[in-house]
Amino acid sequence: MGKEILPVRFAVLDKVLNLARANSLWPMTFGLACCAIEMMATAMSRFDLDRFGAAVYRATPRQADLMIVTGTVTKKMAPVLTTLYDQMPSPKWVIAMGNCAISGGPFAFEGQYSIIEGVDLLVPVDVYVPGCPPRPEALLEGFLKLEEKITKTRRFPGPEKRW
Amino acid sequence: MVEEVKSGISQLLRERRPVEEPYGEKGYHLSVDMAPKDLIDVGRFFKEKGFYLACALCVDFRDYLELVYFFAHHEGHCRVKVTSRLDPQAPYAPSLSSVFGSALWYEREIHEFFGVRFEGHPNMAYLFLHGGIDFYPLRKEKVMVSEEDRALLNSFRPEEGEDTFFINLGPQHPSTHGVLRVVLKMDGEYIERAEPVMGYLHRMHEKMAENRTYLQFLPNTGRMDYLGAMAFNLGYVTAVERLCGIKAPPRAQYVRVIATELNRISSHLLWLGAYLADLGAMTPFLYVFDDREQILDILEGITGSRLTYCYFRFGGLFNDVDEDFITGVRRFIARMRGRFQIYDDLVTKNVIFINRTRNVGVITRETARQYGVSGPVLRGAGIAMDMRKKEPYAAYGEFDFSIPTGSYGDAHDIYLVRFKEMEESLNIIEQALNGLPEGPIMAEKVPKKLKPPKGDLYHVVETPRGELGIYIVSDESDIPYRMKWRVPSFANLMVFPELVRGCLLADAIAILGSLDLVIPEIDR
Repeated sequence: MGKEILPVRFAVLDKVLNLARANSLWPMTFGLACCAIEMMATAMSRFDLDRFGAAVYRATPRQADLMIVTGTVTKKMAPVLTTLYDQMPSPKWVIAMGNCAISGGPFAFEGQYSIIEGVDLLVPVDVYVPGCPPRPEALLEGFLKLEEKITKTRRFPGPEKRW
Repeated sequence: MVEEVKSGISQLLRERRPVEEPYGEKGYHLSVDMAPKDLIDVGRFFKEKGFYLACALCVDFRDYLELVYFFAHHEGHCRVKVTSRLDPQAPYAPSLSSVFGSALWYEREIHEFFGVRFEGHPNMAYLFLHGGIDFYPLRKEKVMVSEEDRALLNSFRPEEGEDTFFINLGPQHPSTHGVLRVVLKMDGEYIERAEPVMGYLHRMHEKMAENRTYLQFLPNTGRMDYLGAMAFNLGYVTAVERLCGIKAPPRAQYVRVIATELNRISSHLLWLGAYLADLGAMTPFLYVFDDREQILDILEGITGSRLTYCYFRFGGLFNDVDEDFITGVRRFIARMRGRFQIYDDLVTKNVIFINRTRNVGVITRETARQYGVSGPVLRGAGIAMDMRKKEPYAAYGEFDFSIPTGSYGDAHDIYLVRFKEMEESLNIIEQALNGLPEGPIMAEKVPKKLKPPKGDLYHVVETPRGELGIYIVSDESDIPYRMKWRVPSFANLMVFPELVRGCLLADAIAILGSLDLVIPEIDR
């Protein structure tokens, strides 16, 4: 009994911590455009993001560990976005929600002078949620994917593969 | 009224005569072309007559730049187009900002997109564009930014006084409802000056319009104002129909009204929730989303999307409504009438809410006229102007509804106006459902590629936020030559610096919320 010393294995500690992180993602209140409304709808009673512990929206980046980029990032907004990302404490994750945040979406055309074609040109993105705007279910799936990325296990079985 | 203005301008200008235009095709009654030097005199004339500056814009015709001003009247039915030609090499014009407050921002906008310099303008700093821009985006040929203008890019430098400091509200702030930035010069808790900075979501809609056909531009309209997407869709579709002389069948017109009014309710509901969340009440936010989902379900059934609808087509609708839709809407109306009672008990009589909004942000009729404010904000100030009644489009002329107005023009009145508007919308929907005609939903023989006749058109509709004006110049090709969107939020935001002068910081949030801004619409 007394001879055995508890083995200090940080891998296990990481696992526990990651489980905690994945189940309490705190997103930042950062609405850019149309997708922000769907992000709000996801947090409300019908889709109930709270089931995943992820609806504690923080108004300051210093208390948040998840940035959901919900809309078009313009060249004027880019420095603000990177500043906010830098202000978030590590570990931190980014979800690019909607086609604008993924690639510029409908606003990427030849001769455009105002937008950044994809937020991944500015900050590292973990999960992409396509749609214009994505439905709340799609954003929920994005959250589950992010949890999967953090903990390496999936909480719920994924959607049926039909194709 | 048209005659009165016509003779007045004739006396003022002598050598130039105003021309009477066919209102049904053009959307304005009179047009008058003049030298730039006469603009201020004419502006003063309109000011004396009680007109407001609805819109100012510029069109690049390659040989010359044309400044276009639209003056309209709140009570009388008269819209005048004033144009003035400028030399594209050295475009100089006198500034109307000393006469109309709304000219301040419209002229700044024209300046950065076309390079027109306005003499006598107090502050020509860039409003929308980012610091790295080196050309005037809406000019037809690439014209590089002049040296003078280069100095104006990023020229905003806060000047701190002895006892004042600056607070940066936004662009990431929960109560600016998007990416609006307001730089507030504070004296303790009181605001000395507010300077909105826009363009954090400038998505080049007007530039895109010049790059694609009329139909290809249709999805953009839903993304301009994502909360009132139907109203923007409807505005654009009816404008193009008016330009091409297409007439949509009655059933399509009725369904358009039903869909737009449902969307108006959902927009006002979201505003109600977000506004009260700004003021510190969380409960209504959860309640309104519950109701909003009901509307979204109904609209999703006919349009296929939840938010950025693209349901209307030139000449009709994308698909017909079915029995499920009609029963769904009837059920919703019955449910919503009961819910209004809950909101009334929860919010309207709430003493905290009353104290936060009564006598806050009072808009007088004079200020409203000065800045060209529209929508519920204008009606809160006691001016009963609603484009659905004044210049009926779609089937609005066939329904019986009233225009709610306030009497003080404060934030509480604006709240009450929006609240009653939702009830009126339900009445309109009910009437439309009862009278829904049978028949086709698309006009016959609408060409795939629309080529409107040469000319221009200024078409006005009422969105949840106010008067939306669409100015289209066509050169007989299938691509618009120029399309200008006179958006309601932009005009409503202009009044904000005036309202917050000398008021508390917490009240500024209450005022900003009461204006119900949608940022992509301002920035376009």
